Parts: sequence; structure tokens; C-alpha cells
Amino acid sequence: MKKLALRLRDWPPSAWIFFAWLITLSVLPFLIILAMSFAVRSDGGVITWTFTLANYERAFHLVYFRVLIKTIVLSLGATLTCLLIGFPVAYYLARATPAKRQLGLMLLFIPFWTNFILRIYGIVSIFGNHGLLNQALLHLGLRDAPLEILYTRVGVYLGLVYNYLPFLVVPIFSALEKFDLSLREAAMDLGANRWQTFTRVLLPNVREGIAVGSLFVFIPMMGEYVIPDLLGGAKEVFLGRVMVEQFFTMQDWPFGSALASILSLGLVIALWVRMRFDQGKTEAASHAFR
Amino acid sequence: MYELRCESLEKSFGSFALQPLDLAIQPGEFFSLLGPSGCGKTTVLRLLGGFEQPTSGRIMLGERDITRLPPHKRNIHTVFQRYALFPHLSVFENVAFSLRLKGLSRPDIIRRVDKMMNLTEIGALSDRRIHQLSGGQSQRVALARALVDQPAVLLLDEPFSALDPSLRVRVRDEMRAICKKVGATFILVTHDQEEALQLSDRLAVMKDGRCLQVGTPKSIYEDPSDTFVASFIGAVNEIRGELSESLPGEWSVASAMGTFKVKKNGLALPREVSMLLRPEKMRLLRQRSNTHDNLLEGEIQDLTYLGSRTEYTIRTRDNVFKVSEAEMDRQKKRLLHHRDRVFLTWKTEDAILLPQSTL
Repeated sequence: MKKLALRLRDWPPSAWIFFAWLITLSVLPFLIILAMSFAVRSDGGVITWTFTLANYERAFHLVYFRVLIKTIVLSLGATLTCLLIGFPVAYYLARATPAKRQLGLMLLFIPFWTNFILRIYGIVSIFGNHGLLNQALLHLGLRDAPLEILYTRVGVYLGLVYNYLPFLVVPIFSALEKFDLSLREAAMDLGANRWQTFTRVLLPNVREGIAVGSLFVFIPMMGEYVIPDLLGGAKEVFLGRVMVEQFFTMQDWPFGSALASILSLGLVIALWVRMRFDQGKTEAASHAFR
Repeated sequence: MYELRCESLEKSFGSFALQPLDLAIQPGEFFSLLGPSGCGKTTVLRLLGGFEQPTSGRIMLGERDITRLPPHKRNIHTVFQRYALFPHLSVFENVAFSLRLKGLSRPDIIRRVDKMMNLTEIGALSDRRIHQLSGGQSQRVALARALVDQPAVLLLDEPFSALDPSLRVRVRDEMRAICKKVGATFILVTHDQEEALQLSDRLAVMKDGRCLQVGTPKSIYEDPSDTFVASFIGAVNEIRGELSESLPGEWSVASAMGTFKVKKNGLALPREVSMLLRPEKMRLLRQRSNTHDNLLEGEIQDLTYLGSRTEYTIRTRDNVFKVSEAEMDRQKKRLLHHRDRVFLTWKTEDAILLPQSTL
């Protein structure tokens, strides 16, 4: 703690603007949510500040636990799909000529210059029951009834992958761009075929980029509300939706806060473990050096 | 061990073209490809390593045609210019890389890696990470990694250029010793003539995609095939003039600086020739002497004392000469100073006669 304070004093004044921003808009709200999660909801949604663990007890009830598991599984699946699609894209971009690379990155991000909600409705207009895809399928006689994609798990899944893909491509792209191509040649020179070169040399050297990209995508997916709401309909419950419901429909802020705290703390712990793991590695390395 | 042969090997890309190259490198030979950047030496190395495909021609290893084999199927390994060590692996795992791919048993891997690490004297670095190695250490690891698998041929791509100049000579000596112990065929690519002379059994001098001369260091230094080779390997002073037979069997070169006696070798030469003189083959005299055939008067413009020898820059009426004199006869001679008037001389047989280059 003392060490941290010392370091804070070393920061330039400009950094304080950032700290002020971080504290008022991130740390403070989180502390309020955390405090609220131990409070009691009285009639009419009024918050009574009496300490209780009841909200947490309720949060670990099977119904909510199932939602949590489902959210994790779906987010993990979507992250994995993003990886499978994003890695080859990043690889291509990293190896392309500067002109092609610029074009590729632009194409990747052009959709993101349009409004988020519009993009989601774009998906609706393609995959909806009367959307382009189904119209085409019906017209060609490939199916008798429309393929139900929207308002199912597949719809949420598609929306998540589509929406988060670029955020995964970019960190992997920059890791691949830094990858020294002579390492690839060295591996082949020493007897590795293409697959062995990929798994034994390329992947371990861009692991960091893959990890960062996956976290960039997985964490916001876990808290996603709009996509499951618009594309999943009433059938698909996602943790983000349950939380919003608790806050605004059920007027149960303390319980919503408990759910939010569990999610945030879970993610913070996961990040912390990862950081410790990395730190441990560099420490071990510098120890070996001595 | 097998002979490595290039047969009319050609490669062109962009504006560069490697002219048909024929080379036969003996088993166990230390062979160098020497030339300025852009001469095509690296292209030859990449063709041999399998990283590039030739436009035409063949590469033979013994009786086997390896021209179209991918790098991982050739029994040829490379020490890359920047070593290309795997940063995610320890020194031990870097060296063990090729053996692991071959699926050797654990004890076998440990035994062979340990043996190679001892030979290259990196045994103590086994657990280090790559970024903790110095330049010299990295080079040994790269060498060990490429040799552990006992390749028929080892390609060395400017392996000393990433090193501190003060380290280079020592590392070169060590590398030479290791190479002798291993007994594979070594092919070195370099632009450093000193490196090539010190390490090679034979070398090829290249320029603009062409191989100009192949031979032992001594034959290339003493009998260069053209003025480029002569000036690229070691320093050289040039006097241009017209060759003529003054008396039957007695040849001389008439230049703007005077007429000098020369010994003509068997080669057919045009009238316009270059007379090349190595700095260390020239001598300085304080006084005019009648016992010397070739004499040029000049003034010392600059001198650099280098311990074992002194290098002089001598300005004559219309030219500048580099002279390098060993200091062993210092006692005999009064010391020379800046701006002293001196006479340059050389033995007639030490002058190299070549057709004038068009450049």
C-alpha cells in the first residue's frame, strides 16, 4: 500500500485527470453497487440500509446459477468462434501488403461507424423470419417453413460473434505483426512441417495477443444486455438481462447489485490470477538470470 | 558426408537475377560466399536452405536432387543472421527443438543436447531464457541448435554481423574450432573479407548476381581474376596504363606517372591494363635509389601507427597510394613523419596485371 502511494506521487499532473475520471465513473459507482448489494429492498423498491447477506444467498439459488452458467457457456462459445474466425483474418492482415492491410482493417471497422442498434437491426433484417435469408431459402424451395434463428440462442450467438469480432482481431493482428518471420523459417529449417511450425512456434509467441483479445471480448460479452434482449427475445435469459430486469422491472436494486457484484468480482479475480501468473513467470525468469 | 552441387542455378525476382551458378562444395569443406550487399549471396543461401525456389537449375546433395524439397525435409540447417532463437523456449529447449520433432526418447535428447552444449560451451546457460543471452552466447546457442541434429550442411548467414566488433575475432576463432570438431560442410555468407579469409578453405566472390571467382583465400588474394575481386579482398592501389613489349620478353606499363617494368603472366591482356599493388607489397624509401626498378616520389599525407604495422597515405604528383609497412625494421630507419618526402617502390613481380575494369 505504501509502495502504491509512493508511486502515485510520481505520476504527472495530467495523469490525475485520468484518475479522477476513473474514480468518479468507475470505482465509485462500483463501490456504491457493492454497498447496495448488502442492503435490503423494502416495499416499493425503497432501499433500506441494513446489512444482510440475503441477496447473495438468493443469487446462488439454482435458477440464477443456471443463468450464470448459460451466460458463461454462451460467451465462451462466442469467444471461441471469434477466435476461429478472427485468427485467420488477423494472420492474413499481418502478412498482407500495407495497402491491402489498410483496406482490410478499414473493411473490418466500417460497420462500426454505424449505430450499434442499427447494426443489430441489420442482423434482424437478414436472419429474421421474414428476413433476407429465410426469403431466399423459401423462394428457392430449400425449406418449407422459415428457419428460426432470431429469438433463439443461435440469434444471440450470431449477434455476439458479429459484434465483438473486430475487438479480437486487432490485438491478435498486432501480436502477429510483431512476430519475427525468421522464427518460422528457423522452425522449418530445423525440421518442423507447417502444422508443427504453427503449434510449436507461432502460437506460443502470439499467446499474449490471443489472451488479451479473448479477454477484450469475453468480459463485455458476460455483461451484454442489448444483444440478448434484441436477438434472444423473451426465451433466452442472459445474466445481463436478469440484472437489468431486477433494477428496472422488479425495482430490486439490492439484488441486482448482488448479481452485478458477483459478476464483476469474478472477472476481477480471473484477471488478477492471470496477472499473478504472468508476474510469476517474469520473476522466475529474472531469478534465473541472477 | 556428401558433396553439395549447384548446377546452373538461376533465380530472378524483381530487377535482381542470379546468373547461372555452378558450384561444387566438397564434403567437410568450409566454403564462403563473399560479396557486397545485393550480390546474390544471400539468395544462394536461401535457395540451398529451401526458403526460395530457383527459376531453373538443380541443387544436388550427393546423388540426391533436393531442388524442390521443402526446408524441413533437407538435411541442411541454417544459423540465421539474427539467430532467430525461439523466445518462448529456454536455451535447452531451443537446442532440443529438432530432436523433439524427430520424436527421440527423452534420455537420447538430453544426452545429445548436453553433448552439443558442452561442445559449444553453453552448458551453464541451459535454463536461461533467450532474452537473457548476450550476443556471443546467442550465437553459440544458434550454432548448437543447428548442429545437434548432425546436418550434412550448415549454412551460416552473416553470423558475426550482429556481434560487437571487439567480439568478432574471438568468436570467429571459437567457431572455427567448433566447426573443425563437428566435421560437417559449412557454407558462410558474408560481406566481410577478413572473415572469409580467416575461416574458409575456399571462397567464391560474387557481384551483381554473378560468381566472379572461386578459389582458396591465397589464390584469390594473390591472383584475383579482375579488379573488383582485387579491391574487394584487401586494399589495393591501382595504376592504369598501356602495356607494351619494350624489349623482346620485357614488358612495361606506360602510365601518366611514368613507365614501370612488369612481369607478364601467361594471360592474354589488352593494351589497356590496370597494375594493382597491395599496400603491404610496397616499400618506402627516404632517398632516391638506383637499385630499385620502380620508383615514385611522394609526400606523406597521413600515417597511422597500428603497433604491428604502420599505414601511410602517400600523395604523389597525381595519385594517392596506401602503403602498409611492418615495423620490424624500425631500428634501421629514421622515423618518418607527416609531410616527409619519400620514394615508393615495389618488386616487379608483386604487381598484379589485369584488364582495366569498365567501371
